[in-house]
Amino acid sequence: MTHLSDAELVDAAEGTLAPARAAHVERCASCTAAINQLGEALRAAAAHRDVPEPSPLFWDHLSARVQDAIAAEPRPSPAPLAWLGDIRRLAPLAAVAVIAAALWSPVSTRWRPRIDAPRPGVSVAPASLSGDRDQPVDAVDPKTSEVWDVLTAAAADLELDAAHDAGMAVQPAAIDRAVQRLNADELNELGRLLQTELRRAGN
Amino acid sequence: MLTRTWWWAAKPGYNVTVTNPTDSDLVAAALAGDHAAFGLIVERHGRNVYQLCYRFTGDHADASDLTQDVFIRAYRSLRTFRGHAALGTWLYRIAVNVSLNRLAKRSKVSPAGTRLQQLESLSRGQRARVASDAESPTETLLRGEEAARVRAAIARLPKKQRATLILRVYHELPHEEIARILGSSVGAVKANFFHALKNLRKLLA
Repeated sequence: MTHLSDAELVDAAEGTLAPARAAHVERCASCTAAINQLGEALRAAAAHRDVPEPSPLFWDHLSARVQDAIAAEPRPSPAPLAWLGDIRRLAPLAAVAVIAAALWSPVSTRWRPRIDAPRPGVSVAPASLSGDRDQPVDAVDPKTSEVWDVLTAAAADLELDAAHDAGMAVQPAAIDRAVQRLNADELNELGRLLQTELRRAGN
Repeated sequence: MLTRTWWWAAKPGYNVTVTNPTDSDLVAAALAGDHAAFGLIVERHGRNVYQLCYRFTGDHADASDLTQDVFIRAYRSLRTFRGHAALGTWLYRIAVNVSLNRLAKRSKVSPAGTRLQQLESLSRGQRARVASDAESPTETLLRGEEAARVRAAIARLPKKQRATLILRVYHELPHEEIARILGSSVGAVKANFFHALKNLRKLLA
């Protein structure tokens, strides 16, 4: 079995060595000698633990000096990074905001600057239901084009400036591309979700 | 009925029983601007802080100045005390830092070092002869000298070893708390303590 480590020698000198290791000490003269030496130093130090007691008036004077000093101090200032604690508490809310921005910003930027989205009754090519992500948005089925109106209505309620002010970076070109890559099913689902949310918001 | 007395809220004319406020209560009150609450903190922890500073400096005047400094620093940064550790631990941490800073500013030939040389000049024979006498003023003096010799030896230890030994032997703090005070691990504290004792033994030999 290996000799005691420095930390274990300290434990042994203080009488807190684990029993499993104590078995080694019983057979090891080297560790026993090391423990005895530590114990000797420990006793020498501990024998002189008294600190001369100051005069009885000292404590009152100390209190008075500290009181005088802090009376001249401003109130304790906030911790330099204390606001981080508040930010941490807001983290879940921030996460929701980011997700919301990610979901809403494609809609808003797609229809705010551009008004060339298909309208109900406008003849466009039938949509493919294959789910091809490269299918252009102009291929949406006219029956599903009512989705656009829903999306437009939703986008009208979104204040992009406010989103920008809140630090949510919105890059219109990227969003346009993302929306245009939606296939008909995805577009319908997005419209359905938005309709649900708009109804809920209207209640 | 008040189950817990917010003593600092007591005003003249209000009959509020003063119970024993916790350190957290006192910190909260001091942060609210109550200097008397901070006074109670000084009263409660002043002795331990003074003794710690004294053990580092070996001098009453220095220990007194440092103790005052510890509490003023504590007051200034009271808002950073979040109660994760005991207030006493936090104050010890400040006390260790200001004490070590003070020692670092001292001249290389410190009074402690000079004192150690004087004490070492006292021969073993002289010490043995006096120790064999009955209880006497001389023996009392010798015991005082021996205590000073031990203090001087401790003063010559590297600062982390010295801090660890003082906190462990004289303030009887557990290794875990010393680790929090010194900002290190329990393993490092034990290693420092091991080397402190080993070096102390050599210095006292």
